[in-house]
Amino acid sequence: MDGQRVLVVDDDPDIRDYFAAVLDDHGYQVVGVGDTAAALAALEEFHPDVVIVDVLLPGRSGLDLLVTLRRSPRWSTTPLVVVTGVDQLLKDDCQSYLGTHAGVEGPDAVLGKPIDPVTLLAVLRAIAQRRALAAS
Amino acid sequence: MPDHFAQYFEEMPCYLSVHDRDFRIIHGNRRFRRDFGAEGEFCYRAYKGRDRVCDGCPVEKTFAEGAPQISEQTLRTRDGREIPVRVRTTPICDEAGNIVAVMEMHTDISESKRLQEQLAHSRQRLAQLFEEVPCYLSVQGPDRIIQHANRRFRETFGPAIGEPCYRVYKHREEQCLVCNAQAAFRDGRPFEHEEVVVSADGREINVLVTTAPLRNAAGEVEAVIEMAVDITQIRQLQSQLTSIGLLVGSISHGIKGLLTGLDGGLYLVNSGFERGDQARVKKGWDMVVRNVDRIRSMVLDILYYAKDRDLEVADVDVAGLVAELAEVVEKKATDGGIDLRFDVAPGVGSLPGDAKALRAMLVNILENSLEACRSDPGKKNPQVTMSVRRLDPWMVIVVEDNGIGMDRETREKLFSLFFSSKGSKGTGLGLFIANKIVDKHGGTIAVDSEPGRGSRFVIRLPLDPRPSTRPVAVETPTTAVVPGD
Repeated sequence: MDGQRVLVVDDDPDIRDYFAAVLDDHGYQVVGVGDTAAALAALEEFHPDVVIVDVLLPGRSGLDLLVTLRRSPRWSTTPLVVVTGVDQLLKDDCQSYLGTHAGVEGPDAVLGKPIDPVTLLAVLRAIAQRRALAAS
Repeated sequence: MPDHFAQYFEEMPCYLSVHDRDFRIIHGNRRFRRDFGAEGEFCYRAYKGRDRVCDGCPVEKTFAEGAPQISEQTLRTRDGREIPVRVRTTPICDEAGNIVAVMEMHTDISESKRLQEQLAHSRQRLAQLFEEVPCYLSVQGPDRIIQHANRRFRETFGPAIGEPCYRVYKHREEQCLVCNAQAAFRDGRPFEHEEVVVSADGREINVLVTTAPLRNAAGEVEAVIEMAVDITQIRQLQSQLTSIGLLVGSISHGIKGLLTGLDGGLYLVNSGFERGDQARVKKGWDMVVRNVDRIRSMVLDILYYAKDRDLEVADVDVAGLVAELAEVVEKKATDGGIDLRFDVAPGVGSLPGDAKALRAMLVNILENSLEACRSDPGKKNPQVTMSVRRLDPWMVIVVEDNGIGMDRETREKLFSLFFSSKGSKGTGLGLFIANKIVDKHGGTIAVDSEPGRGSRFVIRLPLDPRPSTRPVAVETPTTAVVPGD
């Protein structure tokens, strides 16, 4: 959509390929990486408009990435979507994790697996609309 | 004797009598006469119905020693009642100081005797209760030394009396950091907590402990009583229920991840067909096949976990087993661009084991290694090698990869139930079951790994059949998969 750049962080190559195919088909530019370290490097090169991140990743978790981004002056306003397999547990975990990092704003959206293309696109569209509204 | 003294003598609320040297009763007060008869009788006949003086007669001793005597005796009244009495005698002297008579005073101690017996009985009952109560009871002083312990305590923890509690319960040489017995001493109130203690034979026991202060007559805390109830079975049950809960959560979480993979595959297949893009269809179909395969593995893992089946041990041809493994995993390796090699030393022969279980275990480990390579897309020459050597008394199988590797935490939790480092792809059952299969064969499995440098699994299976000595029936998760992904 209008060439918006999306960074997908997931250690499952199938899910990266899936998101990449759906988003690419709908006009997004997509880069997929498998862990948090690669995500931080990709931020510098790719300058994403939105980051989609899985929670459980090898090494540092997706929530770690969320906190890092929220505290970074450069990426603090970049919308971030968290992907999960266990919605309720994620909400509780997310809240307790963020509770130990006072002042950090939670994710812009939480997507529960399985994720169909319509939901994925709707979430990204809603985020883009909110940003456009805020900018105007 | 003045009249009023005679009246006092007469009305004294005890038995009073005066005896001569022949043990005749010269005088007796009213109560004495009522219960023992007329004056002039021999005392041994009046009290006991005897024909001669009693052994150790206090009157005789008073005449002999010239000093008062105190003793306890049982008298029999005229109407046949037996009365326990405390006897006090005192000599009566003439002006020249010669003992002319002995005065005897009997105090009825029936009530006191009854209370003493009741007290002794109560003490015995209390001691029996303390001894037989079906929990661990002990009393310790402020120095943490155990002063008393009941039978169950002694049977479980050994002869604990005189030992410090931390040595007895925990086999420690230092005091525990948190001690509720000391808290009861300090605050003078009961405390309750749960902990794990260790029996004399090394068994870990979950106990619910209540400590309460024991005060002396002045209200000071002198000792603390500790009551520990064995709740090991309850905790094991809870743990198994937790395992089931975690399993359900883990399965649900795993399935959602796999469904997302299937959605991805179907999306690519459908959109590929719409566009006539064969490459996209192929990519999507591979994704579908891969995720269906994962679902199959997951279901088989769950079925294996659900049924703790016995091994069907037979001679397993090792080279043949490796050939079967190659068939199962080779396509996955090829699809992932991974160089998969098998290196079986000539003449490895066979080993006693359950062929199906061993195949499942090795497939799990090989797939884990392939996944480790797939998870490291930056790796230039991803490689997985399986080598088999016969090193008596073991068959040693080494599975090595140069994939993503594991940090220490992952290594340590690798074989725990529901631990998965594979995010959406793992249920946390695969390597747990692999370890269980090796364990059941009496073998060992070790892992050497570093992040970024790959992993090396070394499996040793005994060439002589010997069942595992470790229990496998109770499956307690040592760690759980991080929920949420």
